[in-house]
Amino acid sequence: MKHGMKNRYEFFELSKIRRRLVLVVILSIFVALFSRAFYVQVIKKDYYQFEGFKSSNKKIDLPAYRGKIYDRQGKVLAASAPVNSITVYLPVLNEERAKKGKNKKILKVKLLKLAKLLKMNFSDLDKKLKRKKRGEIVLKRQLDPKTASKVMALNIKGITSKKTYKRYYPNDIFSAHAVGLATADGVGKEGIEKFMNTKLAGKGGSKKVIWDSKERTVGGLGEVVVPVDGKDIHLTIDSRLQEKMYGSLKKAVDKHEAKSGSAILIDSRTGEVIAMSNFPSYDPNNLTKNQTKFVKNKALIDVYEPGSTLKPISISLALEKNLINEKMKFDTKDGKRRIGGRTITDHHPHGVMTVAQIVQKSSNVGTTMIFDNVKPSDLWGIYHNFGFGSKTGIEFPGERKGVHKSYESWKEIDFYTRTYGYGINGSLAQIVRAYTPFANEGELMPLTMIKSDEPVIGKKVLSKMTSNRMLKILEGVISIDGTAHQAIIPGYRVAGKTGTARGYDGGYDGTHMASFVGIAPASDPKFIMAVMIHAPTKGGIYGGVMAAPVFKEVVTEALKLYSIPQDGLTSPHNGIIANKAL
Amino acid sequence: MKLNLILFCTLIIFSLAKVNAHHQYRQSYLLLEQEKKLTVELKDEKTKLQIEESSKSGNARIKQVSKNQLGMKLPNKFQKRVISR
Repeated sequence: MKHGMKNRYEFFELSKIRRRLVLVVILSIFVALFSRAFYVQVIKKDYYQFEGFKSSNKKIDLPAYRGKIYDRQGKVLAASAPVNSITVYLPVLNEERAKKGKNKKILKVKLLKLAKLLKMNFSDLDKKLKRKKRGEIVLKRQLDPKTASKVMALNIKGITSKKTYKRYYPNDIFSAHAVGLATADGVGKEGIEKFMNTKLAGKGGSKKVIWDSKERTVGGLGEVVVPVDGKDIHLTIDSRLQEKMYGSLKKAVDKHEAKSGSAILIDSRTGEVIAMSNFPSYDPNNLTKNQTKFVKNKALIDVYEPGSTLKPISISLALEKNLINEKMKFDTKDGKRRIGGRTITDHHPHGVMTVAQIVQKSSNVGTTMIFDNVKPSDLWGIYHNFGFGSKTGIEFPGERKGVHKSYESWKEIDFYTRTYGYGINGSLAQIVRAYTPFANEGELMPLTMIKSDEPVIGKKVLSKMTSNRMLKILEGVISIDGTAHQAIIPGYRVAGKTGTARGYDGGYDGTHMASFVGIAPASDPKFIMAVMIHAPTKGGIYGGVMAAPVFKEVVTEALKLYSIPQDGLTSPHNGIIANKAL
Repeated sequence: MKLNLILFCTLIIFSLAKVNAHHQYRQSYLLLEQEKKLTVELKDEKTKLQIEESSKSGNARIKQVSKNQLGMKLPNKFQKRVISR
């Protein structure tokens, strides 16, 4: 071995200082590691746990589905279906757009496709994307899911699709007033949607979950608030008759150049509203600014002086008290009567008339004569018992109870004008309900729009005999000699009463309210329908001409749809159909 | 020494089993979530079909189809016979 050369052992043998140095370095590394571990796991434990929790744990909102609304046939009238909102997070997208080269060209092609899918001009889209102030913007709301998935397939960074729900009304304009309207956020705004909002809306929930790197839910953290879906509601209305009623009202309003028209059809036995419509109406799927003034359900909310349609109620009082009978005669002379300094007139002088003819010809003078020996409190009482001055109880927001002042404030003329339906006001719903005793052996039925299996309990307001006698008298109105021959339905006996009242808007405004209330078939009542045409300007002003044809069209369809046998024709099922409840 | 080795092996086995169980749980949870998503999608699909059914079965549309596509028309009074009165 050469001098100065180290052998293998000597070469690896460290000096004492170097050995200690290595030991110190290794120990220092361990100390550093342990210190860091101590710092992370003990001192900053909460911070790192929170940060880790934030990145892998997420709270997800669980929406409650808004209940559907069905008609009496089980057809959907309102339901929520998924739609998508396309949003863009501008900082991410703009970062992509700032890149140069091939990627920029590809992104431009993608954005052109995006504009086409969203049915936007590229320049408009470009303008939106160049906004610098906002982080996230919504490019399109309520996009159908298929188009939304095509948008997402473009794979543009920063673009996201969020699932939301939109309320659809498949019966469109026809059932708009009955069903109502909900906002885009799923809050009932009008009609049944508003009245039953709590039941329909349900209650949203949430849950905390663990996410993996692909943003998939891979575990739950046990913190779950279970969502409660909204309940479905089954209405009593029939969408087929809604369509018919709307069409008939539209025809009448257009033909007579009227301001509006309203109608309600009910089941006389149960008080269920089968159809309720107004014209003009609105499209609940696409409510425009011009249509907002038509949102109000006039059939329930507007009140007016019913006029002659109240005569059957007031005259029933005299019949019930045995003050008159159908054949009793009254001399109306020239159709004029002076009471309390005012003159009450008939449209045509009829001379001597029986009580039945007074109703048939709708004589105001004759009606006042019947009441010469009746106390005002009794007249007030019968209107009160028939539901005037109080709400019908129908499940609808904003229903008005009308005005039915106490008899103590009446002057002599007030008493007499009330006998033929002036000085008192009510909604079309109150009027249609007030006819249920004539079709139901004297029982006033509550109105309802919600289908229920519970038995309906009416309120006895008239004796069976009086109600049947009045029904018979009302049949005379729907005859060639009556005021409503246009309501004759071939094959069926029909009863009803016309009304022509002056329009009132803070004072009599010169317009007229032409109305008709009918019961069919009079032999075994199934339907009661009230129609009101507001401010007709062409072809007359009378209820028998304006409103009766609407009744005829709708009720003919109803009788056909519900297989009500014609009077005098034997039912193919030996009367089974005739007795079947709707 | 031998006991320690056995305990060490047992520890390793149980640790692996725990990791496996956790993995299985996550996989199952993932599947459950996917099924739940599918349920919602099917529910939405049902609603969409109900809406479509309702909008297409309106009287006006039926009348239009029966008249224009099927050539149906209401009988006139000469084509009607009352069988029993």
